[in-house]
Amino acid sequence: MGYVAVTGGQRAIEKANQLVDQYRLQDAEKALETNEIQSQLRLLIDRVMGEGGLYAPEYAAIALKQAEGDPAEAAFLLRAYRSTLPRNYYSRLIEPGDMRVIRRISSSFKDIPGGQMLGPTYDYTHRLLNFDMRNEKGAVKEFLERLGLGEKEIENASSSGKFQKVIDLLREQGLMAERTSDDQIPFDITRDKLNFPTTRSARLQLLSRGETGAMTALAYSSMRGYGAVHPTIGELRVGYLEVHIPYPLDDDDSIYIGEILTTEVETINSFTQNDQDDVEFMLGYGMTFGQNEVKAIAMAILERSLETSGSSPTQDEEFVLLHIDSVEANGFVSHLKLPHYTTFQSMLDRIRTAQKEQEKIEVKS
Amino acid sequence: MKKSRLTKILIEGDSQLIKDLASQVENNYLIQTEKPPQTGLTMVKVKDSISNNPFYMGEVLVTECTVSINGTFGMSVIMGEKAETAYQIAIIDAAMNSNLPMTKDWFHLLLQEEKNIDKRQQKELAMVNQTKVHFNTMEDYNDKS
Repeated sequence: MGYVAVTGGQRAIEKANQLVDQYRLQDAEKALETNEIQSQLRLLIDRVMGEGGLYAPEYAAIALKQAEGDPAEAAFLLRAYRSTLPRNYYSRLIEPGDMRVIRRISSSFKDIPGGQMLGPTYDYTHRLLNFDMRNEKGAVKEFLERLGLGEKEIENASSSGKFQKVIDLLREQGLMAERTSDDQIPFDITRDKLNFPTTRSARLQLLSRGETGAMTALAYSSMRGYGAVHPTIGELRVGYLEVHIPYPLDDDDSIYIGEILTTEVETINSFTQNDQDDVEFMLGYGMTFGQNEVKAIAMAILERSLETSGSSPTQDEEFVLLHIDSVEANGFVSHLKLPHYTTFQSMLDRIRTAQKEQEKIEVKS
Repeated sequence: MKKSRLTKILIEGDSQLIKDLASQVENNYLIQTEKPPQTGLTMVKVKDSISNNPFYMGEVLVTECTVSINGTFGMSVIMGEKAETAYQIAIIDAAMNSNLPMTKDWFHLLLQEEKNIDKRQQKELAMVNQTKVHFNTMEDYNDKS
């Protein structure tokens, strides 16, 4: 049986698209400004950029507006758009230790060099609906002025915002293996065909642009018993990383192109004995665009889990990596909404044939 | 001044400064646009802290532009969709590469702008510092007493 092309839907599709805008705007006093989405739905923007694999806050805001707030659709729009652009540059290697930190905590060590900074978080607040949110109109400027600091307080707080990483501290104390770079060019999942088993760099890239919910669910399963990883947080940091590229007119020089907000997590999972019989911690690693802490923790759990062998779902590389991608998973599930008339017709044909055969057998007997 | 330092000041600094500097050049020299501002991607390569090996984290949107002044090129790559800024920075870059006389007067302006950037970042850090935790160990609680 071949595919049968059908027509007749063009006008209906056009009208359906118009109806989307009708429903998007019919109850609105005014259309949302994309810069308001960008500045005030910060965590959603970060999530969409991470899952779309493209750091572009302005475009993430447009995508979210267009998708009526659906993060999966917005990530799809970003991913599709990026495929139309040329990639002319690769950044210089970014050292996460150079991060200008705005939040930094450890649930493993109370005292870490530089201290723990809670930064922007609602981890320690009651989950009570704040009805004052309805009355913020016009109060933004006053609020920010009230929160602002005096010159003296700013001068007194002199710091670079850079802190020694906990992982480096563990290395110094011989509690973690010293690893040297093997200078390999990283695998690029956007250019190269993925085969299993794959490399660590491919795993990290896939996890880094994975879907937050899917990754959290899988990491949760690992912690609940369907896996081997239940860590504590060695260090979670949120902050800015500068991005430099080689200066195109002189490769020996570099230029600064901007900075990105990122979340980095190192989890401490267990310890093992190395070849010299020394005990070492086994760490998991998570790194995402924007402030997306649960995803970064989930990434560290899954990354570590994939380094272990066993029969749980989160130890199956292909299972984890091929099912956490927002665009792949949403695309495949939502394709079921598209016409499957041929598929269904063939099923109907087979059932009717079977029914006729059954009737013939019953008549004979 | 090294390119990385110069470009950081130009990108993070006040937009009026680069507008003014670029205007100075435009008013005195013919600018040839070699590659008009256009958007593209830059792949971000990050060091994985556990293995110390690099991996590709994702891409950033950039705008790039190339111009020339009397045959000397200047170019810019900046994050985001910023055609006008990319064009202005490319002009400033070409002026610097050409050692145009006016660029000698720019040095103190750039240093001042660098201080402004530092101050802005310092302000953010000062606010973050307010959320620093000062742990106190609580007294032992003896349930038997």
